[in-house]
Amino acid sequence: MHNLIQLSIIVLLLPLLSFVLLIFFNRKLPRNGDFLGVGFLAATFGLSAWIFWDVVVVNYDPSFRVAWDFTWIDFGDVPGVGPLQIKMGIFIDNLTAIMLAMVSLISLLVHVYSTGYMSGDKYYGRYFAYLGIFTFSMLGIVLSDNLFAIYIFWELVGLSSYLLIGFFFEKDSAADAQKKAFLTNRVGDIGMWLGILILYSQFHTFGYEEIFQHIKAGDFHMSQAWLTAAGVLLFMGCVGKSAQFPLHAWLPDAMEGPTPVSALIHAATMVAAGVYFVARIFVILTVDALHVIAFIGAITAFMAATIAITQHDIKRVLAYSTVSQLGYMVLGLGVGAYSAALFHLLTHAFFKACLFLGSGAIIHAMHHEQDMRWMGGLAKKMPWTFVTFTIATLALAGLPLTSGFMSKDAILAGALGFAEAEGGGIYFLIPVLGFFSAMLTAFYMGRQIWLVFFGESRTHLKPADSHDDHHGHDEHGHVHEVPWAMRLPLVILAALSVFAVYSPDPLDGAKGWFMHLVPTPETVVAADMGADREDLHKEVVSDVADTGHDGADITQGDSQHKEEHLTEAVAAHGEDSGSGQGHHGDDGHGGSTGHGHDTGHDAAHGEEHHGPVFSDPRQAAIAHAAHENHDHAIMYSSIMVALGIGLALIVYAFRFIDPDKTAQRIRPLYLYSFNKWYWDEIYDATVIKGSLLISKILAWFDSNIVDGIVNGVGALVRKFGTFSGGFDTYVVDGLVNFTAFFVQTSGAAMKKLQTGKVQTYLVLALVAVTGYIIYYFVQLVS
Amino acid sequence: MLSLIVFLPILAGLIILAVPSSQKQIIRIVTLLAALGQGILAVLIWQGYDPSLPGITASADGSLDGSFQFVERLPWITLDLGTFGTLNIEYFLGVDGLSITMVLLTALISIIGVLSSWTISKQVKGYFILYNLLSTAMMGCFVALDFFLFYVFWELMLLPMYFLIGIWGGPNREYAAIKFFLYTLFGSVFMLLVMIGLYFSVIDPATGNHTFSLVAMASQENYIAGSIFGPESVFWRYAAFIVLFIGFAIKVPMFPFHTWLPDAHVEAPTPISVILAGVLLKLGTYGMMRINFPFFPEVFQASLYVIGVFGVINIIYGAFCALAQSDLKKLVAYSSISHMGYVLLGLAANNSEGMIGALYQMFNHGTITAMLFLLVGVIYDRAHTRQIDKFGGLASYMPVYAGIVTVAWFASLGLPGLSGFISEAFVFVGAFSAEVTRNLAIVSVLGIVFGAAYLLWSLQRMFLGKRKPDAVYELQKDAEGNEIIHFHDWKGKNDLDGRELAMLVPLAAIVIILGIYPMPVLGMITSSINKLVEVLSPVVLTALN
Repeated sequence: MHNLIQLSIIVLLLPLLSFVLLIFFNRKLPRNGDFLGVGFLAATFGLSAWIFWDVVVVNYDPSFRVAWDFTWIDFGDVPGVGPLQIKMGIFIDNLTAIMLAMVSLISLLVHVYSTGYMSGDKYYGRYFAYLGIFTFSMLGIVLSDNLFAIYIFWELVGLSSYLLIGFFFEKDSAADAQKKAFLTNRVGDIGMWLGILILYSQFHTFGYEEIFQHIKAGDFHMSQAWLTAAGVLLFMGCVGKSAQFPLHAWLPDAMEGPTPVSALIHAATMVAAGVYFVARIFVILTVDALHVIAFIGAITAFMAATIAITQHDIKRVLAYSTVSQLGYMVLGLGVGAYSAALFHLLTHAFFKACLFLGSGAIIHAMHHEQDMRWMGGLAKKMPWTFVTFTIATLALAGLPLTSGFMSKDAILAGALGFAEAEGGGIYFLIPVLGFFSAMLTAFYMGRQIWLVFFGESRTHLKPADSHDDHHGHDEHGHVHEVPWAMRLPLVILAALSVFAVYSPDPLDGAKGWFMHLVPTPETVVAADMGADREDLHKEVVSDVADTGHDGADITQGDSQHKEEHLTEAVAAHGEDSGSGQGHHGDDGHGGSTGHGHDTGHDAAHGEEHHGPVFSDPRQAAIAHAAHENHDHAIMYSSIMVALGIGLALIVYAFRFIDPDKTAQRIRPLYLYSFNKWYWDEIYDATVIKGSLLISKILAWFDSNIVDGIVNGVGALVRKFGTFSGGFDTYVVDGLVNFTAFFVQTSGAAMKKLQTGKVQTYLVLALVAVTGYIIYYFVQLVS
Repeated sequence: MLSLIVFLPILAGLIILAVPSSQKQIIRIVTLLAALGQGILAVLIWQGYDPSLPGITASADGSLDGSFQFVERLPWITLDLGTFGTLNIEYFLGVDGLSITMVLLTALISIIGVLSSWTISKQVKGYFILYNLLSTAMMGCFVALDFFLFYVFWELMLLPMYFLIGIWGGPNREYAAIKFFLYTLFGSVFMLLVMIGLYFSVIDPATGNHTFSLVAMASQENYIAGSIFGPESVFWRYAAFIVLFIGFAIKVPMFPFHTWLPDAHVEAPTPISVILAGVLLKLGTYGMMRINFPFFPEVFQASLYVIGVFGVINIIYGAFCALAQSDLKKLVAYSSISHMGYVLLGLAANNSEGMIGALYQMFNHGTITAMLFLLVGVIYDRAHTRQIDKFGGLASYMPVYAGIVTVAWFASLGLPGLSGFISEAFVFVGAFSAEVTRNLAIVSVLGIVFGAAYLLWSLQRMFLGKRKPDAVYELQKDAEGNEIIHFHDWKGKNDLDGRELAMLVPLAAIVIILGIYPMPVLGMITSSINKLVEVLSPVVLTALN
């Protein structure tokens, strides 16, 4: 066994041990055992850091990987399949090592922070136990080498999320939120599970590597649509866990959990697990599946950003911001900007954890006040929090010199490149939504900073009736900086939001170690498996034609294809663009040598800056276009961010525009945003009410119809019983009785004949003989 | 060995007959000792069991060596019937992978049941005699390899069950008892007819005589051409399959024959609910795997989709009905219907993954549902109600109880890391891999969501939040000012007491261990199931014809 594997097994088991010890013994330990939780996590982080050092720093090899597995379940010699084993194992590559370090670092910081934030809670020890099982499950997701294992840890993460969201379970809102989170995630999970089943049914294995190799070898015997379905269904797991549209509604409610939990689970790690999972299966995603993913990501990013701008609760703004940023990551994967998306996952984890812990510090200092309308002027009172929060905000908004700038820019460049390579049209919606969301992000974060830290304190403005807290008004005066246990994590996380950690060039993340070590992998879905895509081509081309986009900037010339017959247009478009669309066509492989040349050129070009050479023409084209668009992306996104911040300053700092009056003026839009696009209401009216109605109907059906029939049959049998009983008594028994009666009466009549007296017999004989003689003579006479 | 494990409880019952009914504690202890003895024997059998031997049918050479284990075979009833030949009924016991898992489960649940019966105070002597009789009958069913003997045990089970529900049950117990009795009897009448038909259709290759041997009946080459269930007698074979299936489906219980179950559970005392859900329901699916399917494999092949449809109906319909219940015990009863649907679906998949999942699900459902019913019993003992709306906030005041409820509830909703997940997962894997049941698998995954819905909802309503205004319990302050719970006229410990923990903790441990590493049970199952799938496969059938 490789020593990294041994280390990683210890890393995985330490938090589990922490959970087991704390759940049983927390009440018996001093300080309810928080030192155990922190200690175990410190060890976990230490070993993870060791793995990170070994893999990322010492080896520094983009293709680094070690794997190990063991037989978990042995099915024996299965008829029709042969020997069948279900294996479990560990897989470590650069991404794993980086995630391992990230997760354990943030988990450690949250543990430390929680010793301050949660102190005095009734279930203080249990809290650390739950953090332990969460960390265990999350590390399990990261280390798994197969779909079955990741599904197991996936659900365990869901369990720990359930436990932690509902940590204050005596509050009904917390109990509602935890149930909502678990059930919404399960909806996503059934999709993921079906995706796993599709792949298993083909290959009788759950292992990533085996599945990839089988697909590469063309062993997938169902139709192409099933492979697309598998990809989209697996992605559904991500939609649930990473709170993508339309299963996003649970995440903002999950803010009912303690704030450090929001930082760890609902911002930095668990919700990113969906993105991580899609990255793991990235290579088997078909083009159609990728398109679905890209659109879902773009819609999510945009929708959540529009909601975030009107929320009052400091954590809800951050929650919607998380949803929006996760949308970016998913969008990034969908457009093929794999490295960029994962880079954003990493940078986002740090700055968003910083923001949440910062908001926790504010809430803690403000005595559980979460409404930004009653904050203000905290910059002077909480300087450490202010500075770290601001750095993280700049990173989230995507200002230069921050980590967020590099990663977001890389995704947006990828989106631009993707839209170009796919032929524009509707695909341009994706970068457009991305850039627009960037502006919204800058706006709502500017708003938040201003409302919380600047101006005068507005605590006294809070209407008394909405004051649902135990603390009196006067207490709010004593706002003070948080203790060091809470301050230190903020500083560390803020430091990790600076560009220099990731790349020497503040404008280009691609020059940094992350994007070099986590290169976009080559798809295993053979290009000709996209051969059925003619319909889509038509669509794309007709879109291009419809919108009057002559494709000049894409196809470098030839604009005649508009006049051509549609089918030919497909081919022509593909060939001319040299962008890979045509390579998926029926004649894709028979394309002109020009293709090969172009592709080769693109690839070579890509190699120079991006690392991998793609033999898949579509990937090569996108990578090339993304690279070409890098500078555009920087320019556009800078403009958008400047617009957003400027607007926030105009509204909240200089007060040129009154936000309340504006809200009144655009009231329907405002309400639409404020009420979160009414998704909760929609789901409540349809899915929840519908399910309850069906359950009521079926329960009625069961006790009245199904059981009614049973009871009816029973009653019928009883009736028949009564009838046959009656028949028995009156007819059958009656016959018997009648016979007896007949015999009896006739016997009684007859017995009179049998007197036993000889004289009577003689008389009778005489009468008989006389009678006979008389009869005889009468015969003779006549 | 097997005789001992079967008849040990009867022996205890005989001893109890001699004990005066005032000696309640002795009666309980004797029963417990018998159950523990069964447990020890079950572990010994488990230890001595060779998991590589497949069972199901005789070995290739026609003998039982290398197939069944712990075999005991004696002539029992031999009657000269003149022109019909001789009637050969054997006392024939043995185990293979199908039965050994059920033997272990039965022994385990019997012990739990005795502990749970400790609080029974009405007519203790009669109760425990019947309990022991039931225990023998259940164990006998799982190890009998002679159809007649199986049938005797099968019918023997009804009698104690009827009285245990009808005398020690809830307010509506007589209705529930008679419903259970008649429903099951209805199924077994047909079984009797088919059994006789089978006797005249099958010969034991070793003796050349007709036989009731389940082993001989499982090999199609032993069926005589021209007999009623001979290979070419299509109509009668279909008819026999269908009536046998209904007979077993009633026990499962399968929609639409399930309505006796909620009534029986609601009325039955806790230990009887535990036995009913933990063991008796498995007899239905065990009978299908042992008798129904291998005797008529070609009919089984033709009915896969139908069986699967009923499985899916059970899963979804049971889950929806559970969602609507306001009585916690009824909710758990419907959850049983839903979970037994997974077994049917796994069987319908007719491949190793599905069938292993199904058999493992039988075992896991036994342990998990036993926990669920015990936990319902815990709160019913204290509060004398099971209405979900009459509580709220229990987690604050009964933390240990709430903790174990959480484990049991999550095990029931199929959380990975707990045993129920693995069995359900492989049912899905099998059902999806088989083309015939693929769409059914797709539909049935909805059961995962609705299963979670009714369980989490009930968990929330009873345990989370705060005490409901009309709750059946009161809150009092102790000396330190902490709130403690108070149930009206409950003298015992508020949170779980030692006896309750002794029942629940081992079950929880089993659920967790088998959820992490299932091989201790799966290892015994696999070779038998692989053999069963082979026996049922169309390839073997075409080769025979």
